Amino acid sequence: MASPSTHSPESMLPPRSEVGVIGWLHANLFSSPFNTVLTLISGVLLALGLWFGLKWIILIADWTVISELGGRFLLGRYNTEAACNGQNCFWRPQAALIMVSVLLGAAWGLRGNRVARTVAWLVAGVSAAFAFLPYSLETMGLDVRILLLLNLPAVPLGWALARYTPLGTGSRVTMLGVAIFFLTLVLLRGLPWLPFLQPVSVVYWGGLSLNLILAVGGITLSLPIGIALALGRRSNLPVVKVLCVFFIEVFRGVPLITLLFMSQTLVPLAFPEDMPQNSLFRAAVVITMFSSAYMAENIRGGLQALHPGQAEAARALGLPGWQTTLLISLPQAIRNVIPAIVGQFIGLFKDTSLVYIIGMLDVVAIGRSFIQSNPEFLPNARELFVFLAAVFWVFTYGMSYISGKVEEHLGVGRR
Amino acid sequence: MVSASRYLTYQGIPVWRHVQVIQWTAQIVSGILVVALVAWFFTNMANAIQDRDIPYGFSFLAREYQTPIGEHFIPYESSDTFLYAIIVGFTNTALVAVFGVVLATALGIFIGVSRLSGNWIVSKLATIYIEFFRNVPLLVQLFFWFYIVLALPPIRKGYVVFDWFYLSNRGFSIPWPHASNLSVALIWLALALAALVAGVLIYRRQSRNEELTGRAGYPLIYGAATAIALGALTWLALSFATGASPFFISVPEPHGRFGNLVGGFTARAGLLVLLIGLVMYTASFIAEIVRAGIQSVGRGQTEASRALGLSPMNTLRNITFPQALRVIIPPLISQFLNLTKNSSLGGAVAYSDLTSIAVTMTQTAPAVSIFMLIMASYLAMSLTWSLIGNLYNRHIQFGGR
Repeated sequence: MASPSTHSPESMLPPRSEVGVIGWLHANLFSSPFNTVLTLISGVLLALGLWFGLKWIILIADWTVISELGGRFLLGRYNTEAACNGQNCFWRPQAALIMVSVLLGAAWGLRGNRVARTVAWLVAGVSAAFAFLPYSLETMGLDVRILLLLNLPAVPLGWALARYTPLGTGSRVTMLGVAIFFLTLVLLRGLPWLPFLQPVSVVYWGGLSLNLILAVGGITLSLPIGIALALGRRSNLPVVKVLCVFFIEVFRGVPLITLLFMSQTLVPLAFPEDMPQNSLFRAAVVITMFSSAYMAENIRGGLQALHPGQAEAARALGLPGWQTTLLISLPQAIRNVIPAIVGQFIGLFKDTSLVYIIGMLDVVAIGRSFIQSNPEFLPNARELFVFLAAVFWVFTYGMSYISGKVEEHLGVGRR
Repeated sequence: MVSASRYLTYQGIPVWRHVQVIQWTAQIVSGILVVALVAWFFTNMANAIQDRDIPYGFSFLAREYQTPIGEHFIPYESSDTFLYAIIVGFTNTALVAVFGVVLATALGIFIGVSRLSGNWIVSKLATIYIEFFRNVPLLVQLFFWFYIVLALPPIRKGYVVFDWFYLSNRGFSIPWPHASNLSVALIWLALALAALVAGVLIYRRQSRNEELTGRAGYPLIYGAATAIALGALTWLALSFATGASPFFISVPEPHGRFGNLVGGFTARAGLLVLLIGLVMYTASFIAEIVRAGIQSVGRGQTEASRALGLSPMNTLRNITFPQALRVIIPPLISQFLNLTKNSSLGGAVAYSDLTSIAVTMTQTAPAVSIFMLIMASYLAMSLTWSLIGNLYNRHIQFGGR
C-alpha cells in the first residue's frame, strides 16, 4: 500500500473543475443547484436589460434635446441679452474655467500624484473637446472655441507654477484655490465700476455651473463648521452644548427644500430692509448649514469610536486640551469616517438640484423648464433625464473614487 | 499690573488663566451674543410685519382654504379650513413615508444580501444597482419616472393584468379591501387583532416549550393556525349576525366613456412616481447599510454555523442577520427619516405632500406661521421614527451587557 508521500505530483493537483476558468465558473456561478438557478435567472435579466438598454440608447433614443439645450446646460440663462445688458459676457465663465484648469494643474505639480493629473487632464480635455462641437459658427463663435481650447495649455502652466515658483506648497495652492473661487464669483457677478465687467444678476446664473459653485462653496465650508459643531456637541460646557444640539437637530429634522423656501420668504424679513440681499447667497448659506449639521453627526461618530486612551495619552504627555483635540483626536476621527464625510459631500452635490424650489434654474430645473416650454420635446424628456443622471453620476462616482484613493493613501484599515 | 494680578484672582489663580473662569466667561458671552442675534432677527421681523402690513398669527387656520388638493386619502372639500388642509397634507406625507419605508426596507435588504451573494452575477447586479441609484439626485430620478409614467398609454389603452391591475398614465389601480359597514368592520378588526395576539402568545409558549424540552413543537404552525382560525370564525359569526361580510375586495372597473376606473385603490401618477423614486433611491442606501451590518458580524459566526450543518439561508436568517441588526438599526432609522423628509419633493411630481401644500398656502396665508407648523410636523414625524427605532433597538441589544 502506497503511503501518501509516494504519490506523484500530478496526482496531487486539484481536479480540473476547481481551477482556471471552469473552476471560477463553478465556484462563483454554479456551485449548487440553487446558485445555478440564480445565475440563469439573473443572467437572462442582465441580457434582456443590456439588449433593450443598448437598443434604446443607440437606436430609439433621440438625443437632439441635449444639443438643443446646448450652452444653457452649463450656464443657464447667463449668456443671454437680458442677463448681460447687451454686453458680451460669454468670456467670463470661460475665464473662470481656465483658472480652474490652472489650479488643477498646480495641484498635480504639487504632489505629482496620479489622481490630480487625471482630474486635471480630464477637465481640460473635456472642455477643449467642447470646442469641436458641430454647432454652426453663429451658434458657437470662434472666440468661444479658442477660449475653450486654452484650457489645454492652462494645465501645464499650473503644473509649472507649482514646480518652478514659490507657489509650490500645499497651503499656497490651497490659498490660490480659495482666491480663484472668489475671483470666479466676482467674474460671474461683475463689478459696477468696471465698464467691461457689468453686473449680472444672480437670477440669471444657472446650469451645471450653478450646481458646481454651490457644491464647492458648501463642501469647503461645511467640513470646518461640522467639526466645530461636533466638538461643541461633545463639549462639557452646557451653553455651547445646548446651542450646538439645537442647531444640529433642527437642521436635521426639517427637509432641505422647506429650509430653502423659508430662506426666501422668512430670512429677508429678519434683516433690515435696506441691507443688500442676495437670494443665491441665502440659498448657499442654507445648503451649507444643512450639510454641516449632518457632517457634525458623522464626525461625532468618528470621535465616539476613538479609543479614549488616545486622548488620555496625549494629556499625559502634557498636551493642552486644544492640542489634544486638533492634533490627536480629530485627525484620527476624521480619517475613520472619510467614507461618511465624502458621502455627505456627494449628498450636498446632489442636494444642489433642490434650488428649483426658489426659482433658480440649476441644471435639472433648466432641463425641466426647457421641456415645459417646448412641448415638442416632451417625448424626449426621458433622454434628457437619463443624460442628467449620467452627468451627476460621473461627478459623484468620481468623488467616491477619489475618496477611495485618499483612504488608500492614508492607510485606513491597515494602521 | 502687580496690583491687578494680586486682586483679580479666583481660588488663588489669576482670572485670565483660571480655566473655569475663562470657560464660563466664554459661555456667557456666546450665550448673550446668540440671544442678542435672535432678538435682533425678531425685532426686524416684527418691524417688517408692521411696516409692510404682512399678515401674521394663527387665525387663518379656521378660515376656508378654498383651494383644491390634487390627491387626498381622507375626505376633503375646498370649503374645508386651512387647519384641515394641513392635516390632509400631513396624512399624504405620512402615507408615502410609511409605504415607502416598508417597501424600501424590503428592497434594500434584498439588494444588500444579494450584494454579498457568492454568485458573481447576482452580486455584480446588486453593486450596479447601488452605485447607480445612490449617486444620482433623487430629483432627477423622480423626473425620469414622472415622464415615464406620463408617456404611458391613456387609461382605455392601458396595461391590464387579470382585469385586476390597471397601469396607465393616470396611475396604478389595484384591488383593495373596502368596509361594507364601518362599525362591523371595526369590530372585526378588533377581534382579528385579538386573534393575532392569541396566535403570538401560543407561538411564544410553544417555542419556549421547544427550548425547554428539546422536542420539536411546530410553534409557527400552531400560532398561525390559531390566529387564522379565530379570525375566520369571528368573520363568519359577524357575517351571519349582520348579513354582510365585514370587508369585501373592491376590484377596479372601467366605467363610462373615458374608461375611468371605479373601485379598488388607485395610486395616481404623483403618488406612484414619488413612491417608486423614493423606494428605489432609499433602497440603495439601505442595501449598503445591510451589507455593512452583515459584514460586521465575525466570520467565525458564519463558519461555526455552517460547520454545525445549517444551510446558507438558515445561517443568514438565524445567525448572521439577528446579530447584524444591532449594527443596522441606527443608520436604518436615519434612512427612514431621510425618506420621510425626501417625500417633500412630491411637489415636483404633482403630489400634494405637506411641503407643497404649505408652499401653495403661503400665497394666501402668513408664511411665518405656516412654516412654524410645517417644521413642527416634520420634527414630530422624525421624533416618531426615532422613538420606534430606539424602542426596537433596545429590544434587540445583547442581554446583560
